Amino acid sequence: MLGQVEAVDLVKEFRTFKRKEGLWGAVQDLFSREYTTLRAVNDVSFQITPGEMVGYIGPNGAGKSTTVKMLTGILVPTSGEVRANGYVPYRERTAYTRTIGAVFGQRTQLWWDIAVVESFRLLKRIYDVSDADYEARMARFDDILAINRYLHQPVRKLSLGERMRCDMVAALLHNPPLLFLDEPTIGLDLLAKENIRQFLKEVNREYGTTILLTTHDLSDIEELCSRLMIIDHGHILFDGPLDELKRMLWRQTQIKFELKDVAQGVAIETFELPGVGKERLDELTYRFSFDREDFTSGDVIRRVVSTAEIRDIFIEEESIEEIVKRIYTGSTLPAMQQR
Amino acid sequence: MTAALALSRQLGDLLEFSRIGFVNILAFRLRYYTGIVTYLINVTVYYFIWKALYATDPDFAAGFTFAEMVTYVSVGWVIRSVYFNNIDQNISYEVMEGKIALSLLKPVSVQSMQMGRALGESAFRLVMLTIPAGIVISLVFPVQGPASAPHFGFFLISLAASILLTGALNFIVGTFAIRMKSILGLLRAKYFVFELLSGLLVPMTMFPDTLQKIVAYLPFQHIAYTPLRLYLGKLNESEIYEALALQYLWIIALAVFGAWFWNLMVRKVTIHGG
Repeated sequence: MLGQVEAVDLVKEFRTFKRKEGLWGAVQDLFSREYTTLRAVNDVSFQITPGEMVGYIGPNGAGKSTTVKMLTGILVPTSGEVRANGYVPYRERTAYTRTIGAVFGQRTQLWWDIAVVESFRLLKRIYDVSDADYEARMARFDDILAINRYLHQPVRKLSLGERMRCDMVAALLHNPPLLFLDEPTIGLDLLAKENIRQFLKEVNREYGTTILLTTHDLSDIEELCSRLMIIDHGHILFDGPLDELKRMLWRQTQIKFELKDVAQGVAIETFELPGVGKERLDELTYRFSFDREDFTSGDVIRRVVSTAEIRDIFIEEESIEEIVKRIYTGSTLPAMQQR
Repeated sequence: MTAALALSRQLGDLLEFSRIGFVNILAFRLRYYTGIVTYLINVTVYYFIWKALYATDPDFAAGFTFAEMVTYVSVGWVIRSVYFNNIDQNISYEVMEGKIALSLLKPVSVQSMQMGRALGESAFRLVMLTIPAGIVISLVFPVQGPASAPHFGFFLISLAASILLTGALNFIVGTFAIRMKSILGLLRAKYFVFELLSGLLVPMTMFPDTLQKIVAYLPFQHIAYTPLRLYLGKLNESEIYEALALQYLWIIALAVFGAWFWNLMVRKVTIHGG
């Protein structure tokens, strides 16, 4: 089997009923309800090969969580097929769940009022982890996450960062070949985020764990994922390497010029080029921005350089956040459909 | 062979969840010191009610003398502290908080998880609440001892069944939460049905004949009425075996139904969305 996870034409529809307004509406609802069907996931197909780390992003309500729930076997697809680790998740849930791990950033799977280590012991037991494996993994995980310090504290006393580290360990104690992470870095401080990312990298490298993660923090993707999938309104808009997305959608280029001396400012102030925006950052630095379709960087640089004496040139690419924001607002859809 | 292996694994999982339940409740042990007082107050209230009723008519309750009735009420409340559980509430909370999804991701049935946890909590309460409350109540009120040593043995076997039976029933009640989201109303209704039909408030013999006949075909009276009759020695030998067999048959039937009902409800939610 090539794909460890395979989704073919996956569709999930939810039936919700419209609540009528007011008291009379509530009474009416008791007898007849108007149902509306919402397509949360619409014809989604993809494959994930073993060892891949895939970032799955999209605005709130785009269908991310619904997809993850179908992949983990919590939801049954309305139509289409899904297979993971050789199982049809919803059909063979109990057997399948032995082969996956999952972390939901918003919720903990640890018992709230008891020491973390008690939860671990329970997981060790229900996943049949041997003592030797348990000890070895705990030692390895502690190397990176340093969780031993608070293993004997109840979860309610842990900070969010500490709790998330423990949740990661809980999901990986049985060394599943496939790991689902739903917003694993939500609400974490920079150090905790960095630590969790490093941990995921190590796990992926050492155990070859395949990881699918959803996030709103694009730096998670930049640091971890070789591949990115973007979903919106139930459709997959993009599926490929991050670099490809940048190449395809990097539209706005910004070049910062640092003048040789203040005297050069006069020349630069008179410089005009229709379609190229000019912004004075301070008396020595100016920023020019333009559409990559209209101008090449070389073109703009040549013109500026022939106008004034320049000390340094910095080309700034559009940040991934900017690109993704454009995708979410729909302004780049035509460009993507040309693909 | 594989069936035996699967069973031993299930029992192992169950025990592990019991341990967690036990450890978990440990965090709230303070609550149980006040629990003893609560049970003492309950018994006191019923003691005086029965005393007043028997004062007007010594044959008030068919087949129970006043001394037996005091014992019935006292032992009834004491064992209630061990057989009750909150499986239905727990499931309801999990559904409301969306944590049920995490439970579905575990390779163990939710029924075993909940049952295991409830058993652990019962074990904890047995030590922290039932035994101390039993001692205090028997010192304050004229509580009779068990009818005989064998009767006490059968009573204990029957009490174990009460725990499992309550668990199986509460699991079914909790399962309604999957569709209904909030079952607070249902929980309240269940509370009164259980108190009344289990025989905790009054023995079944005080019910109208028709109701008695109907209730005989329901599982509820096996929660309290059956173990209490065993304690008081109200059953002859063949009746004892019949009562115990019925108790355990109900457990099996309700557990099987509960598992089936749970799967049905979960499938509906996972197909149509919540």
